[in-house]
Amino acid sequence: MALRFEDDFLRKLEYLHVVSKRAFVGQSRADRLAPKRGRGLEFADHRGYSPGDDFRHIDWKAYKRLGRLLLRLFDEEQDLPIYLFIDCSQSMREAAKFDQARKIAAALCYIGLAHLDRVTMLPFDEKLGDETQPGRGKGRIFRVFELLERMETEGPTNLRDVFTQFASRTRQQGLAVVISDFLDPNGFEPAIKLLASMGHDIFAVHVASPADSDPHALGEVRFVDAETGEFRDVDVTPALARAYADAWKAHAEELERLCGRYNLGYVRADADQPFDEIILKTFRKGRFLA
Amino acid sequence: MSFGTMAAWQALALIGVAGAAAAWIFLVKVRPPRVSVPSLLLWRRVFDKVRELTWWERVRRAVSLAATVLIAVFLALAVTRPGPRRGPASEGRTLIILDSSWSMAALTSSGETRWARAVRQARALAASSGGGDVAIATTADGLVEGPTADMALIETAIDRLTPSGGDNVALPSVPGTDHVHFLTDGAAARSIDPAVTVHSVFEAASNAAIVAFGARPSPGGDAGGEAYLQVANYATTPREVRIVVSRGSTVLSDQRVEMAAGEAVSQVVPLAATGSARLVARIYADEGAGADGLAEDNEAVAWIDGADAVDVTVVSENPAALALLLQQDPSLKVTAVKPAAYVPVTSGIVVFDHWLPAEAPARPSLVVGPPAATWLGQPGAEEKSARWIGIGTHPVVAGVDSLTLDLKRVRAFEGKDLVTVAKSERGTPLVAIKDDRDRRIVVWSFSPADANLAFAPGIPVLFGNSIEWLARPSYGVLRHSGPVQLPASTARVVSPTGKPVTIVHAGDRTVARLTDPGLYLVEAGGSRGVVGVNVGDPEVSNLSRSSLSSAVTSRVGAGGAGWPWWMWAVLVAFVLVSAEWWTWQRRVTV
Repeated sequence: MALRFEDDFLRKLEYLHVVSKRAFVGQSRADRLAPKRGRGLEFADHRGYSPGDDFRHIDWKAYKRLGRLLLRLFDEEQDLPIYLFIDCSQSMREAAKFDQARKIAAALCYIGLAHLDRVTMLPFDEKLGDETQPGRGKGRIFRVFELLERMETEGPTNLRDVFTQFASRTRQQGLAVVISDFLDPNGFEPAIKLLASMGHDIFAVHVASPADSDPHALGEVRFVDAETGEFRDVDVTPALARAYADAWKAHAEELERLCGRYNLGYVRADADQPFDEIILKTFRKGRFLA
Repeated sequence: MSFGTMAAWQALALIGVAGAAAAWIFLVKVRPPRVSVPSLLLWRRVFDKVRELTWWERVRRAVSLAATVLIAVFLALAVTRPGPRRGPASEGRTLIILDSSWSMAALTSSGETRWARAVRQARALAASSGGGDVAIATTADGLVEGPTADMALIETAIDRLTPSGGDNVALPSVPGTDHVHFLTDGAAARSIDPAVTVHSVFEAASNAAIVAFGARPSPGGDAGGEAYLQVANYATTPREVRIVVSRGSTVLSDQRVEMAAGEAVSQVVPLAATGSARLVARIYADEGAGADGLAEDNEAVAWIDGADAVDVTVVSENPAALALLLQQDPSLKVTAVKPAAYVPVTSGIVVFDHWLPAEAPARPSLVVGPPAATWLGQPGAEEKSARWIGIGTHPVVAGVDSLTLDLKRVRAFEGKDLVTVAKSERGTPLVAIKDDRDRRIVVWSFSPADANLAFAPGIPVLFGNSIEWLARPSYGVLRHSGPVQLPASTARVVSPTGKPVTIVHAGDRTVARLTDPGLYLVEAGGSRGVVGVNVGDPEVSNLSRSSLSSAVTSRVGAGGAGWPWWMWAVLVAFVLVSAEWWTWQRRVTV
């Protein structure tokens, strides 16, 4: 799959930036407002001078008017840690679905890089794969493309183990974007709760394809689980097909409800939906991009 | 239990293997197409949610499995045809005799005929023979098939049998038979050997029948005679019977008669001197008094001898005397020609008086005082005042009163294939016949002019006999169908439906088997005679009685439309397959 975007589309992406509901402390200067006062350009406030403060930040005009030494404070603009979890399990092996997930990841990565955010790509299946930090600056996007193109689906899904493994290292709090179909035999709720408990701002991108919600088969078929190889002979009647469609709908609604309950971001990205529309409309509508 | 088509262990093995194979095929039936899904997570949820669906699926699966196994078992049973186990003494040859009298065609209360019951029982007996030899016989035809162990032959033979009358003769027998089964309704009283196993298909039924019908000369001397008819009501209740008597296409009588239970009524219908020779009587019984058990005896036929017109061509230099004699019979259309004007005729008969053509005539001929002819023979010595002796039983000379005959002059005539049926005291042939399939010829060695024609009744009788034998011999009406002996010259027999009947020539006789009631046309040497077959008979038509008593071993009850049980097994299997297919198409079963 070629993940190269058109130049027009890339220019459109540059106007966007990832919205985090909270401000996180970054590591480097960037253009994202940090929660602490620092050496930014934007005046923020005054405070009384304390010995040891930098003389250069004393507001002499205020001293002339008030006769007190006040120090000028500026907003610190730092980068945002963005953790991109990309589901590479076998349940994502449908080409359209996996391509959509990688395109979304590439687009978010580009937006992050363009705004000097610190993007970390975390492919996963039943465990966390090799995490990659492409660096800073939009020029690094081609490395991202290469990384994404090399990704392949493999193994079953286990979100809880993945996030436990993720939590095993000390990380800066940031924005955690989970791009997945959330078809985890162990359930996605405990895993997401675990991720949320780490203080990250979580955004769930639910990638789905039409084949997920509709078995597209009637009569006697042997359904084979793409992740485990387990099979089950099912006589798919129209009623059973409807029941399955209802189950899938309930699965998607359950994820959306969970995200709503814990104030997590949720965006649905269908594989058959135009990619531009997902990025430029759906993500903005979901207040994930602005 | 024994099996009709194979040994018991083979049959049981087949049934078991068929059932097991069906179950195995059901369980390993064609692997469904594989569909890869991202995860079975949601499918598991669906099945957990709809547990009742799973339960219903189990029921469907169980039903389908049961249906599949049943189909296989029913088919296996139909093939192996198990039957009641026969005793050790039953090993050996079995003779199954079906009573083929017409009463077996009577309907029973179940709608099937007695014959159908007998056939069903015969099949069952044949099927339970356990591989031994089986022979099939009927009272009318004797041995029909076998002895053979080939059940297909037996089945085929049974299939082609029908009730066809027959005489009340002794039961057919097959040498070396160990068991004889006789399937009968006992309508005809027979002496049955105690060793014979009698299966009764008798079930009393009401019936109205024509038990006698015929034509005879009128006692009053009318030229046409009269038809006599007797109808009986063999029922326990009175019934109205419509009686119709027809002559050709003319209805002579049409009456409705109220008949008491068991009553028989007689009717006499006068016949005109002219008209068709064919008489038909038919009755229509009132169904309100119970079904008319036997349809075959509701119609009877008769033939008026000498009633059908015959063309007679007299070839003579002086035909006046012969023509005058022949014209006394209104059924004869006499044409007189001089020998010089003679041309071969294509219909009727020819009378050659002291003259013969160079070529043999194509039609039956009466030759009087013949001259020499290459195709007939040579005249011999003349005898004066010959005395007629040696009158045989041939129809031509039957009833000729020899004592009244006075033959002044006789010239012997010798010819190839001529058979003398009357001769003089000195051995001179007086009357000879030739009975070929091509033509019949009667040769008189004397001339009526040389006899006391005017005074002797024997001459007109001889003339009449000759004409009748040459043109329209009478074979009478049989009261039982079956084989009938006909003259050796019989060339063709045509059934009432117009189909030719198979005839067998045996020596000086021809035998034809007349199975259906009605009038049969017999063509022999250019003559056209008629033989009739009527079913109606008190013995046959009285369906409420049976001669069977304690000799009956078993009574054959009503069966499903006369089908053997294995056909029902096939039908059930077919219905199950259809139901399984129908429900499978609609996802009801799996």
